Amino acid sequence: MNALRVFWLSWVLNLRLLSQSLFFVLISVFQPVIFASIAFYMWRAGGREGTLLYVSIGAGLMGMWSATLFGSGGLIVWQRWQRTLELLVAAPPRFVVTMLPFTVATASLGLYSMVATLAWGRLLFDVPLHFEHPLMFAVAVAVTVLGLGVLGLVFASTFVFYRHANAFSNVLEYPVWLASGVLVPVSLLPAFVEPLSWVLAPTWGVRAMRDAAFGGDPLPELAACVALTLVYFGLAWVGAANFERLARKHATLSLT
Amino acid sequence: MARVFVVGGVISYRALFNWVRPLSYATSMLGIPVTQLLFFAYLGRFTGLRDDEFYVVGNAVQATAMGGVFAMTMTVGNERQFGTLGPLLASPANRAALFLGRSLPVVLNALFVAAVVFMAGLLLLDFSLPAGQIPALLLVVVVTASATTGLGLLLGAIGLRAREVIFAGNLVYFVMLLVCGVNVPLDVLPQWLEWVGRSLPLTHGLEAARRVVDGASLTDVGGLLWTEAAIGAAYAAAGFVLFRLLELEGRRHAVLDTY
Amino acid sequence: MAVVEAIELRRLYRTATGTLRRRKLEVEAVRGIDFAVERGELFGLLGPNGAGKTTTIKILVTLLLPTSGTARVLGFDVVRDTREVRRRVGFVFGGERGLYDRLSGLDNLRYFAELYGVPPREQRRRIAELLELVGLAGRERERVEGYSRGMRQRLHVARGLLHDPEVLFLDEPTLGLDPVGARELRRTIAGLTAAGKTILLTTHYMFEADALCDRIAVLSHGEIVAEGTPSELKARVAEGRVVEIEVFGVAEERLDALRRLEGVKSVAVEEREQAQVLLVQAEMGVEVTPLVLAHLDGASVGRVSYREPTLEDAYVALVS
Repeated sequence: MNALRVFWLSWVLNLRLLSQSLFFVLISVFQPVIFASIAFYMWRAGGREGTLLYVSIGAGLMGMWSATLFGSGGLIVWQRWQRTLELLVAAPPRFVVTMLPFTVATASLGLYSMVATLAWGRLLFDVPLHFEHPLMFAVAVAVTVLGLGVLGLVFASTFVFYRHANAFSNVLEYPVWLASGVLVPVSLLPAFVEPLSWVLAPTWGVRAMRDAAFGGDPLPELAACVALTLVYFGLAWVGAANFERLARKHATLSLT
Repeated sequence: MARVFVVGGVISYRALFNWVRPLSYATSMLGIPVTQLLFFAYLGRFTGLRDDEFYVVGNAVQATAMGGVFAMTMTVGNERQFGTLGPLLASPANRAALFLGRSLPVVLNALFVAAVVFMAGLLLLDFSLPAGQIPALLLVVVVTASATTGLGLLLGAIGLRAREVIFAGNLVYFVMLLVCGVNVPLDVLPQWLEWVGRSLPLTHGLEAARRVVDGASLTDVGGLLWTEAAIGAAYAAAGFVLFRLLELEGRRHAVLDTY
Repeated sequence: MAVVEAIELRRLYRTATGTLRRRKLEVEAVRGIDFAVERGELFGLLGPNGAGKTTTIKILVTLLLPTSGTARVLGFDVVRDTREVRRRVGFVFGGERGLYDRLSGLDNLRYFAELYGVPPREQRRRIAELLELVGLAGRERERVEGYSRGMRQRLHVARGLLHDPEVLFLDEPTLGLDPVGARELRRTIAGLTAAGKTILLTTHYMFEADALCDRIAVLSHGEIVAEGTPSELKARVAEGRVVEIEVFGVAEERLDALRRLEGVKSVAVEEREQAQVLLVQAEMGVEVTPLVLAHLDGASVGRVSYREPTLEDAYVALVS
């Protein structure tokens, strides 16, 4: 029972912390909206057929990924600087348990992105917000948030040890947008990308969302997303214990 | 004055980037523009808008904007955070030279990044660049990069008061990505956005770059380059004025070193 | 059984410097230290900055792995039984950070109480008690970013005590506090030992160690150079009295020459406004004053006085 309480409390705590960060709001609201606008104009000008809702959803997911990426990694970097990382590591619960609510919270803020791009599209580009299965869409978004949160946990686990990891992780924004096919179908990319797409939660998330929006069957994709989330969790579990130990060995829990 | 210009610039650059290892630099400074190019190029192919060359030139030149805007605002932001802003502004050295000195490494860095992105376009996308146009292209990139440092200076001046100045830099970055004709042709944008784009640096320089890559000569794009330079200078001037004003006011209210 | 044990503890840091050509540096912060803390003791690790105090504490609270040697807390090995140790110890590192600034003091405490498994029913009571104890009652709903240095320090202490640990590690707890706040905190710490807790404290304030600790280990360059009760340590230098000589502007070379004099154990210098005060410790039974004064010939000499050695003198002698 205690684990659930800890989860809830940390989740809320982190949501509050992040919502107060102007930078985070920039990443999760302003950036997706700009990218959505760019995509909308490109769609119109290029004469691409089909509804722009496709674009709104894709751009929303782009924002969710950005939130996850910068949130999870940045979280560790910030906590290390803030000297709270040490406190969390030295606390009794396992590091994954302590960190999970934080990364899920950052992924949750990705909801802002989805809402922002949908609203923006509707207000400024007349994007019709017609969902075939609105409830399933909400479920798909929630499942994706969880998947991203746990993927973020995998990142966070490595950041505990590698102090400069965020310089590398920052480069993963565009590649994951491409590889998970949020706007450009993976089939258009070089062949080696397809297998990569299968291990990314956003791939399945965006497909599930589209199915829910346009009338397909999102269940298989949701199942794939959940399965992937479990795999991520396993990775994080093993990784965190390992990296925490390495961090204690090489003294990278603090700045000095 | 020249010494202050060069030495100040090099030292500040090293001080800021000293903590960054070469590999981290490579991945952030180079990896992001290159992956950005790939994203938009493929998006362009999917939407059927223009060709690969449009995106290569657009994102390569825009990458210089990243340097100009960010580095300048970061300079002020970081100096403020490290507490060196106070001593810096207290120095008797000509402040114009001091800050111009900070733009030098920024422009050089921008050139390097633009070159890498062009290379990526050449290798990975359907893009070719006639060798004879390279010198002209180089000049266009230098002018554009310098112009964006002017905007960065203005933002940096605002940073004297605003707490999260890096936030402003990011904000401007995204706006420029939308309105300066980088991935969305200017004629596609609504009128008012086009005007915003034309009042920012990068727009005219980018237009010049596109024409040069298509075979235009420097004389053909001269007007665009002068416009670009003038816009950059205007922002720089505004930045200086704001700097002086805020600095004087800051001295009166002792707020410069607060963070 | 000792509550805290360190056996041949060593910690080596490897760092690299330089941007393009990376040079490897090795620093041995802790070089084989041994000590034991008994139940209910207030044990002090005394030493200058860089002596290895923080490294030692971090090893004991499981934030660092020792390079070699063993450390045990309550019988649990810090490397093998990490989770057991973490459940039972509290630690206070203090300083400006280490708290969630944008949250209130209360929220910070609530979060850590949850993390440390304090039963929900007890949380309110415990938190209220602790806020009272550290003197923050009434200010807990304010955001930590508005707290003064002293308030933050006190919140750190409250946080360390949330789960009522048997063992408490305090790293320079009064550093940066104003004298009144520091004195109050010391009183609180003394009260904790009276309540049966075992405390290991690091400090570089001699008088603090003297006033608070039952036993002290003096750490210098990663090694323990002396261990004992404050009186035992003072006795080690009580062989000779300390001569205080007021001088004005004596050069470093002159001081070195003084140090090499027959019978002089150590010469420390204290800056006091316009003058310097030389604190000369002599070997037992040796009267060095005339010799020292002779060697100060030419310099302006003010008052000369004698006093009993303090822990500070012992410390200086051991550490220099």
